[in-house]
Amino acid sequence: MQTIISTRSIGDQDLHTTTMRSSFGLVKRSLINTRRLPSAFLPSLAMPMFNMIAFSGTFFAITKMPGFPTDRSVNWFMPLGLAMGSAFSGVALGFSLIRDLENGFYDRLRMSPTSRLSLVVGPVIATWIRVTLVAAIVFVAAFLLGARPTSGVLSYICSLIAALGIATIGAGWGLGLAYRFQDMRGAAIMQLSIFVTMFLSTAQVPLDVMTGWLHTVARVSPVTNIFRLARAGWVNESSPDYMSWSNVYGGLLAIVILSALSLTFAMRSLQQIDN
Amino acid sequence: MIDVALAQKSGGDLAEHSLSLSMRQTFALAKRSTLELFRQPALVVPSMLFPLFFAMLGNSSFGRTTSLPGFPKVDSYLQFQLAGTITQGVLFGSVTGAAALATDIQNGFFDRLLAAPTSRTGILLGRLAGSTLFGALQTAVFVFVLMPFGASVSAGIPGVLAMIVSGALISLAVGALMSSVALKTGSAEAVQGTFPLLFILLFFSSAFFPRETMSGAYQTIAGLNPISYLVEGLRALSLEGFTASATARAILVPLAIAIVALGIANSQLRSRLRKH
Repeated sequence: MQTIISTRSIGDQDLHTTTMRSSFGLVKRSLINTRRLPSAFLPSLAMPMFNMIAFSGTFFAITKMPGFPTDRSVNWFMPLGLAMGSAFSGVALGFSLIRDLENGFYDRLRMSPTSRLSLVVGPVIATWIRVTLVAAIVFVAAFLLGARPTSGVLSYICSLIAALGIATIGAGWGLGLAYRFQDMRGAAIMQLSIFVTMFLSTAQVPLDVMTGWLHTVARVSPVTNIFRLARAGWVNESSPDYMSWSNVYGGLLAIVILSALSLTFAMRSLQQIDN
Repeated sequence: MIDVALAQKSGGDLAEHSLSLSMRQTFALAKRSTLELFRQPALVVPSMLFPLFFAMLGNSSFGRTTSLPGFPKVDSYLQFQLAGTITQGVLFGSVTGAAALATDIQNGFFDRLLAAPTSRTGILLGRLAGSTLFGALQTAVFVFVLMPFGASVSAGIPGVLAMIVSGALISLAVGALMSSVALKTGSAEAVQGTFPLLFILLFFSSAFFPRETMSGAYQTIAGLNPISYLVEGLRALSLEGFTASATARAILVPLAIAIVALGIANSQLRSRLRKH
């Protein structure tokens, strides 16, 4: 009887159980690392706080422009800070993967009968947990700096969804590049590409305020939709970008499509290593 | 009497010879640090491209803000932004030079220089000369690349030359401060670790927006921040024309900071030498 059980082929349910168990093992490892190596986590927290504080203060005057969607600069720049922090939290997965590849830990994972899917799912879930923690701290700090939501709890939910979405996209992209390059060459591309993609959108100012080439690029960038989702509950009720299904739908769609693309890129790159 | 005169003469020759040797050594080390920077494009290209990217981004993002109350009279946002772009690029470039000094300490080249009869000050000055030259080059590139897009310099060609000198002095000042960190810690990571601090200083200054448009604590911090004065000196040449006041602010402020920074770096060098 025992022989029959041990030799039967792995069914879908077993595979699912293995994937989930391995994923949660990797989530646990990542969270323990966060506790043991706070220096690796602190930049993810420092970046959104710095962005929010520095941009709100430096560019305070832009809220005085006619038609600007909010009169509080921190309302405008808090979602930017959170988005940047989330993107880099996601990309940081690529850095830690490169470290694992270089120190041999990753080879041990590949030698074990671990589900390949869990090697992507586990770290992404760990990133979601970290981003949620960072978002909670940023929301409190923003409130203390004078940020006030205009759609109640929905404001926070939309910003959090946008942050988690950006983190997922960043994670897929970071993991994919790390699998492809397998050394620190990939790190520079990860940072640069995320940085440029984020800023070629309405990251700093609304479309109406932009001029020239940036307006053309930002108008078609899907990241603009994600920022609209993130800020829907922080702009004035009179703003055309205020909380409504039509204003959040585009952002949700952009997150789903870009996440699917980046995670597929990560899985494909992982398969290349295995081959 | 003749012996004393001969001894004085030979003493004078010796001092002259020693000075000439010291100059030659400093020049050789300066050449090395300059070539080292230019032979590693991966180290210098980001400090050229990022500021240009930010300048173009800022011009499109904040182009309409120049009519806001408190904004100085400018032809375009890029004209206002030019000084900030130069300072940003030079700050980041200076970190690269100081990190190279720390690498010399880490890989033992610094010890080999100390074992040889090399001028001690020349080791520091040679390294800083490379950064200073690179700062001048960065300034020239930023001015000439951004000029066709609207970053005009009211002070004309003399103003551009003064800006290049100012950029070189800012690079020398920041390079000396960063070299102090390199000499104190002997760690390239520690030098790179100061990068976020520079980034914060840059953002809490008038590099991207005028102080007059800020309010409350931000305005106070920008007013206390030395980066604001480095930027505003350069900006005066860009906006006010080639006046004595603008030129003095563009040259004398970074020169004063450079003298203080060189003093600190030299003191750190002596401190490291005492440990050997």
